[in-house]
Amino acid sequence: MTDWDVCIIGSGAGGGPVALTLAKAGYSVVVLEKGPWFTEKDFYKDELACCRRSVYTPKLSEEQHVIEDSDRDGNWVGEATSDSGWDFWNGNCVGGSSNLMSGFFYRLKPEDFRLLSEFGPIKGANVVDWPISYEDLEPYYTLVEKEVGISGHVTDHPFAEPRSSKDFPYPPTTEHPVSRRIDETCDSMGLFSLPTPRAILSRDKGSRRACEYSGFCGSYGCSSGAKGGSRAALLAQAVATKHCEIKPLCKVYKLSSDAKGKVVSAEYYDAKGQQQSIRAKLFVVACQAIETSRLLLSSTGPKHPQGLANNSGQVGKNLLFSAGGSGNGDFEYADMDTRAAENMKIRGPFVNRGLQDWYFINDKTMGGRIKGGTVDFLLRHPNALSKAMSAKWDGDDLVWGSALQKKLKSIFTDSQTLRYEIFCDWLPTDDCFVDLDNSVKDKWGSAVAKVRIGYHKHDLKVGSYINGHAEKVLKKMGATNIRSNISGAPPQNLVAGGCRFGHDPETSVLNANCRAHDVENLYVTDGSFMPTGGSVPYTWTIYANAFRVAEKIKNALM
Amino acid sequence: MIVGRLNMNNRMSDNAGISRREFMTRMGLLGSLALSCPAAALAELRVLKANHRAVDSAPEWQSEAAWQTIAQVQETLFPAAEDVPGASDFGADVYLHKAIENPNADGEDKDFIMRGVGWLDDLAQQSLKKTFLQLTAIQQQEIIEVIVNSKAGRNWVSMLLSYILEALLTDPVYGGNNNGIGWKWLQHQPGYPAPAADKTWDKLLQRRYTVT
Repeated sequence: MTDWDVCIIGSGAGGGPVALTLAKAGYSVVVLEKGPWFTEKDFYKDELACCRRSVYTPKLSEEQHVIEDSDRDGNWVGEATSDSGWDFWNGNCVGGSSNLMSGFFYRLKPEDFRLLSEFGPIKGANVVDWPISYEDLEPYYTLVEKEVGISGHVTDHPFAEPRSSKDFPYPPTTEHPVSRRIDETCDSMGLFSLPTPRAILSRDKGSRRACEYSGFCGSYGCSSGAKGGSRAALLAQAVATKHCEIKPLCKVYKLSSDAKGKVVSAEYYDAKGQQQSIRAKLFVVACQAIETSRLLLSSTGPKHPQGLANNSGQVGKNLLFSAGGSGNGDFEYADMDTRAAENMKIRGPFVNRGLQDWYFINDKTMGGRIKGGTVDFLLRHPNALSKAMSAKWDGDDLVWGSALQKKLKSIFTDSQTLRYEIFCDWLPTDDCFVDLDNSVKDKWGSAVAKVRIGYHKHDLKVGSYINGHAEKVLKKMGATNIRSNISGAPPQNLVAGGCRFGHDPETSVLNANCRAHDVENLYVTDGSFMPTGGSVPYTWTIYANAFRVAEKIKNALM
Repeated sequence: MIVGRLNMNNRMSDNAGISRREFMTRMGLLGSLALSCPAAALAELRVLKANHRAVDSAPEWQSEAAWQTIAQVQETLFPAAEDVPGASDFGADVYLHKAIENPNADGEDKDFIMRGVGWLDDLAQQSLKKTFLQLTAIQQQEIIEVIVNSKAGRNWVSMLLSYILEALLTDPVYGGNNNGIGWKWLQHQPGYPAPAADKTWDKLLQRRYTVT
């Protein structure tokens, strides 16, 4: 006797597509979400709430990670984030971190599905081909364009991935005057400046209103519903079918399995801290990569002594972040005529420009043809406090009094800053993984995830190569004070892997359908499945794959 | 290369629901005009605050010695000038008081700030035989120059500066940034919608613990 057909743990980009697809098909679906259920009515452009207090993420004193980094001597040293303050949470609320994303939406390219055969092995990296091809995922990329609502414009360019529909269902969002300058500069340099597709509505879609161009997007919840997060775009529809129930403030700490190895129930703490249990025919885990691996490792059972789906010891292995870095250049208003300066000051419209000229690098100095990455342009985030706080220090010295005031005035009123971000493959290695740390417990007494964050040196080589080219674009545009940073520090918000899918149960956790090899009623639909990450932000691929897997689950339930 | 670019004028006609002025403001086209005279705004704010003081008595906590010291340190760290709002102009003490007395706040900050007031007075007594408040403005500056040389002192001043900057630039709903003077001074356009009084960060935080 089960309570539900399907129980989904996690309501972000991995959970939403499954909830919607199965609820629409008439199956009873329950979604257990650790965080609260905020809606458009709760989202304000409040920098304290978004970025300086723990509102959308847990307090680190209550829930933390242990981050293992290498010290100068090359030893791995762990430190709890409750001590370091290095926050690895990304939006624990209904809809997950997709509520707070910027929504730069890129597809992977066909070559990303066969990195090993296309570019060969790299020593020290666990590069493999995917068990599916771009063609398998393409229909779902297209489905996401419609369901989530992606705005953009398809242009013909040498790096374009094949697509089954002619153009995006929504025209591009309004663009900033600087976009034209980027185009002109790139054109003069023989580069293909591409319009970046965005998961942001340029027109109303049902009850979701089009973007209102406040200019504060990334890190903020969207008050119009334009941002295509899982909650606004998918879960609202799923709930409307009356076949889907979302239970917020339910923290799943274990999936219990029976003597045959099947999952029978999800054990969770409710808002009052009471232990509860839900039974279902089939379970879907989508807690974002780190917490998904943690939950599986915590879920031991008679057939799964090392944790659920972990009989080959693969759960948590080959965790991925996104390699690369970012650069900034200033455009001084004093160097422009009044009109140009007023144009630069405009806030609200998006830059929406990217470069994929170095997605594949063919350069003798780099050792022949290798995988590169994406450059995406954006204006510096208008968050006032983050700008102001940067003025407080001059090296190790505090700046205060009139010196601080002068610095603030200059930072805020002298120039506009154009940024770029570089996205490269974070090569999977044996030094980047999730494990349990039994010495550090969260507020419920469960072992927290220990994350080792080692990176492959090749990542820096690729990032630096692209960075050299990206800097030249800023320079040609006339930017001053150009500074950039390529490092092996993991961007916490761009995380995948840990439960890679593949054909071989010895070297992967999930099969090609993202069902656990050794658990017949367990699926993983967040970014954990990715064996290699590609060189773009993950969300569109996570959405697309979750829609694909939802179809497989539907077939399995029939 | 020409890519699909939307004409802003076309975009405007898509927005029948909002007025042209509102739209222009939203797009930042009027923003810099509206914010172009911070000195006048500052003078206006100072008159307004003087009038308020004549009518409303200050809350009790403001007369406590510790809070008077804090307010004076804040003014030293962020002094007023004719065209620069000082800590007292934008209500840095009111903001800090609200922030650290908030039951959802990190209690460690309050303890640390209050202990720091004690250290500051101790140092003033040791070196000049006076409390911090009894010192001249120059002496007060010098004392702060001394304390930032120690790690604890630097952390203390750094924390006060963080709260000062929050008071300067957060939404006035949090008690600082009176009349949006911080935004006007730095020509910063806040985003919208602005946080409602019943949806401030501490109220939203409650939702992490209780089902509403």
